[in-house]
Amino acid sequence: MRFPALPLPLRPVAFFGNVLLSAFGAWRFRRSDFGRIAADASARAVPIVTIVNVLVGAILAFVGAVQLIKFGAGIFVADLVGIAVAREMAAVITAVVMAGRTGAAFAAELATMQANEEIDALEVLGIDPVEFLVLPRVMALVLMMPLLYVYACATGLIGGLLVGAGMLGLPPAAYVERTLDALDWSHLGLGMAKSLVFGALIALTGCYQGLYAERNAAGVGQATTRAVVTGIVGVIALDAVFALCANALGI
Amino acid sequence: MAEQKLLTVQGLEMRFGQRLIQREVSFSVERGTIFAIMGGSGCGKSTLLKHLVGLLAPAAGRVAYGGVDYWASDDATRAKLRAGLGMLFQTAALWSSMTLMENICLPLEQQRTPLDPDARQARAREVLSWVGLEAFENYYPVDLSGGMKKRAGLARAIAAEPPLLLLDEPSAGLDPISSLRLDDLILDIRQRTGAAVVLVSHELPSLLAIADDGIFLDADSQQPIAHGSPRHLREHAEHPTVRAFLRREEPPPSGPKAKAGSAPPAAPPAATAPSS
Repeated sequence: MRFPALPLPLRPVAFFGNVLLSAFGAWRFRRSDFGRIAADASARAVPIVTIVNVLVGAILAFVGAVQLIKFGAGIFVADLVGIAVAREMAAVITAVVMAGRTGAAFAAELATMQANEEIDALEVLGIDPVEFLVLPRVMALVLMMPLLYVYACATGLIGGLLVGAGMLGLPPAAYVERTLDALDWSHLGLGMAKSLVFGALIALTGCYQGLYAERNAAGVGQATTRAVVTGIVGVIALDAVFALCANALGI
Repeated sequence: MAEQKLLTVQGLEMRFGQRLIQREVSFSVERGTIFAIMGGSGCGKSTLLKHLVGLLAPAAGRVAYGGVDYWASDDATRAKLRAGLGMLFQTAALWSSMTLMENICLPLEQQRTPLDPDARQARAREVLSWVGLEAFENYYPVDLSGGMKKRAGLARAIAAEPPLLLLDEPSAGLDPISSLRLDDLILDIRQRTGAAVVLVSHELPSLLAIADDGIFLDADSQQPIAHGSPRHLREHAEHPTVRAFLRREEPPPSGPKAKAGSAPPAAPPAATAPSS
């Protein structure tokens, strides 16, 4: 259901409610579509997630080392990189990458279907596009983002280790030991929770923009741009909310 | 008394936002007839079809299937009424991520009493053979020509044997031979299935060849200006716009300019000398 009669500010709310209701209903999407989308949102995203997170881990190590070495506390680079990657950077950076990659792909795909009347054809058959097109995308990204987060953590930590051991001369075993000491399950839990929420946000934003795109080529471009911009801004804003909540809860 | 008409449209008013497109649109379609919705570009033919299939609510008026008012019904009744419709979209609207076989099997999965997978595939192969695409069942829409897509769209529309087919510009963008074949195919499907067909088109040869009845929508007066079969209207229509349309003649002058007297044609732009 696309709620064409609803005023614009209410549409996202109705859309979100419809997705939630569909998630608790009979899943009427094709399992093959879910598999294809899940593979695209996970395995095919691994190279770019690897590159970005290794570099972010390395950059954090460099920046931290410049300050910490002045106080003879170079080994604490491992703490800094470990906590920053697990709590913040792995989830946020991976979400930003996925907003630009998968969120944009969702928006473009659905907007093209809208322009080609493919979504109308589903509605004529009585198939709710939210159930058939949106739900598998949201589920795929919500399920795959935590896996990507774990992988991003590992690659981010490796990036830090490469700089710490290779360029700052820290012993690798000591670096790993410091990292394991510094990390806590609460850091990983917080990062994991963020990745779930970010995954849902990116998928919902991409699908919403695609489903409500104008029926022309320009509409596809606009939907894609809006999906990426809204996705990235939403991720940053939600991260701030997470930071406030974590601070209030003492995590 | 139960209404016998398959589709009845009464006093339909179509708007795009605040802008009136058509008003007082009324007609009915009986079983086995091919009904044409005619008119020039932009008169609201495709919009009317969207009102008929439940994609767009009309501003006013009634659309009834077998006497049941679609827009006044609850969701369950609407779904039941929609199950009796097959639609061919202007762009064919085949689902691009699915093969032809999957495109045709999906409507069969949505039936109230769904066929088992083998029966669905057998039915899909049958309708693909009707439209001459039996060798292309594993192709994706992107691999087909425009005419093949239209035929595949038609196969998808008829797969679940709906009593009413709605075809939006089936011949648009096709060469004359492909268009002729598609006309023959529509007649053949009508004969095989007994379905009524509502056809939106401004392709004159198609309209004259296959339509039994029709309505002519006029963009200037924003209302229907003629009812009847295209062949009959071509010879006997009183309205000059209808005659001009169906005879491919110069249309009568209309609008404020015509009322004020015809303006002289604008002078062509002066040819510019090529720069050396």
